[in-house]
Amino acid sequence: MDTLVSKYANAASSASFDNADNLGDNLSGWDAATKFALPAFDIPMVANPTDFLRAHTDASAENRIRIQHGTTTLAFKFQGGIIVAVDSRASGGSYIASQTVKKVIEINPYLLGTMAGGAADCQYWERELGRRCRLFELRNKERISVAAASKILSNMVYDYKGMGLSMGTMITGWDKTGPALFYVDSDGTRMKGERFSVGSGSTFAYGVLDTGYDYNLSVPDAIELGRRAIYHATHRDAYSGGSVNVFHVKETGWEFIGNYDVGELHWHYHAQPKGVIA
Amino acid sequence: MSIMEYNGGAVVAMVGKNCVAIACDKRLGVQAMTISTEFKKTFQATPKTYIGLPGLATDVQTLAEKFRFKVNMYRLKEEREIEPRALAHLVSSTLYERRFGPWFVEPVIAGLDKENRPFICSTDLIGCINFAKDFVVSGTTSNQLYGMCESLWEPDLEPEDLFETISQSLMNAVDRDCLSGWGAEVTVITPEKIITRTLRSRQD
Amino acid sequence: MSVFSTYPGQVIVDNPVSVPIEHRFDPYVDNGGTLLSISGEDFCVVAADTRQSEGYSINSRYVPKSVKLSNKTVISMGGCYADCLTLTKKIQQSMEWYQHAHGKTMSTAAVAQMLSIMLYQKRFFPFYSWCILGGLDEEGKGAVYTYDPVGSYERESCRCAGSASSLIQPFLDNQIGFKNQESNKTKLSLDQVLRITKDSFTSATERDIYTGDYLEIFVITSKGVEVQKMDLKKD
Repeated sequence: MDTLVSKYANAASSASFDNADNLGDNLSGWDAATKFALPAFDIPMVANPTDFLRAHTDASAENRIRIQHGTTTLAFKFQGGIIVAVDSRASGGSYIASQTVKKVIEINPYLLGTMAGGAADCQYWERELGRRCRLFELRNKERISVAAASKILSNMVYDYKGMGLSMGTMITGWDKTGPALFYVDSDGTRMKGERFSVGSGSTFAYGVLDTGYDYNLSVPDAIELGRRAIYHATHRDAYSGGSVNVFHVKETGWEFIGNYDVGELHWHYHAQPKGVIA
Repeated sequence: MSIMEYNGGAVVAMVGKNCVAIACDKRLGVQAMTISTEFKKTFQATPKTYIGLPGLATDVQTLAEKFRFKVNMYRLKEEREIEPRALAHLVSSTLYERRFGPWFVEPVIAGLDKENRPFICSTDLIGCINFAKDFVVSGTTSNQLYGMCESLWEPDLEPEDLFETISQSLMNAVDRDCLSGWGAEVTVITPEKIITRTLRSRQD
Repeated sequence: MSVFSTYPGQVIVDNPVSVPIEHRFDPYVDNGGTLLSISGEDFCVVAADTRQSEGYSINSRYVPKSVKLSNKTVISMGGCYADCLTLTKKIQQSMEWYQHAHGKTMSTAAVAQMLSIMLYQKRFFPFYSWCILGGLDEEGKGAVYTYDPVGSYERESCRCAGSASSLIQPFLDNQIGFKNQESNKTKLSLDQVLRITKDSFTSATERDIYTGDYLEIFVITSKGVEVQKMDLKKD
């Protein structure tokens, strides 16, 4: 146990100049368990690694390394739990890199994370979060609370603040205290809340969400609200689109509700009579 | 962000057998936000010539009016319609007048000349004409359109086949571009008639 | 202390900079090239052109971008060739150690997850490489995994990456994904997929200066990996 603890203690500081070239390490008894046990990052050997990264990932850089961006995600609490709805587009510049991205990350059967900002940052850190939540379970013989899980994630990325990580995520789940929803981002913000929307299309989604929201919404109505809010965001926001993925977080864990292609969803809504705006 | 990508938009033109086709998307955006989905970028210049103007929307509208004026003046002076090739040079010299403060538009011209021979061309924003025998593309989706047209286009397509080819090229191309799409309009010009159709496409 | 001090206690520092002076550190170069992978019911096709260029010059007409990793997995990479070579070597090394440690070959899914982590380990000093991993999954179905340079990955049915990706990808959406088509949404045979692959590259070669020379196609089936070569335009 102590060795484990000490390993975690210097997780962040293990990123140093010393392991900038760890190719040779492979020759001395390679083992996946130790090799990939902890986040350890190669850092360019320059005075200011952050400036280096920015210079090469900026829109102005000649050989720009395009990191995928652009999103609409939302999650809200209601009487039946939490609804999580996201779009599925990844764009590099104005080019659509993918229309089928999974932006809801299934951390474990009780925890969901959403993805906005850098796709790799969200995928990697939420996978790491999943691993740490599992270790928590093994140590403590009980499931981790959503508050604790979101704080682990928040603390992990806070260690790298200012180094160029880009992540805006919502961590949702059901624990002893009931349904819980947290917003966590790479600046270090961590907020508990009832209703969040994150990403380039979030303003559009908020418009629909706030209009139709009621805590006492039935489950089908809540699902429909989430789906519709994302659809409207994909319609107006150029960097959101593809399809809508909807999840429902319940006491028994999360449930995948469905995947709805916006190409068809638009004409489905188009044909419907317009609702009354109270 | 480039000024050419501020509003988004795509135009493509193709040559068929004794016919030409020109197509555009219908989005008008302000960077990421879609403002209108009814902003067409192709304009009829003469009974058998169309001009497509993708680029900065304010210049699209100004130039559309400017060309309408110039084409009308040409008709009044010459007492005949302007030929597509002459129109191309008119467009080119109009753009070159603003060599050091250009209109941010890359026009496409498609039409049939007086012998009903197909003519298409495109120009860059300062008026360098590209005469092509197969197809021309322009706008934010040009890479995707080049790929589609290069794969789907073949010589001597009949009007209906040309319509299908240009529609598939445009729709699949704009579906890989954030800044274009939200509907499309296709015009096929044949010696007998002009067929204009609106395409139902993805709205994201 | 310097002899040129103008008052007692003054320290003249010859070089007042506390960090080494850097005159630009630009370790990346774009070597161009295009790669694509398409998965089928019981096969997977990985194809890439073999031109390697730098700016307007062609370094070589035959530098393969794809490498066979096992009988079930092929990796293809484009971008900065130096980074691609290093990354390929790292993958091969790790796969060999896995073989020695566990007495079995790494599955395609395992290589896919490992590659994601390898890319992310260089989050602050990224590999400039576009990766596509093609192969067969545990059930023998075709699998394509695609990556961004810092390791976000996704399993897809078909994908094109590299310099002509924006030219080829919409064509694949149309012909493989049947996008914007009303009818004939059938599963494609290997012959059809190979024909579409070759058409894609001949078209892209017309318009993309970084793509051309030869096309190398890896066909992965339960029988193993077979390599085909085809000529592309050399201008």
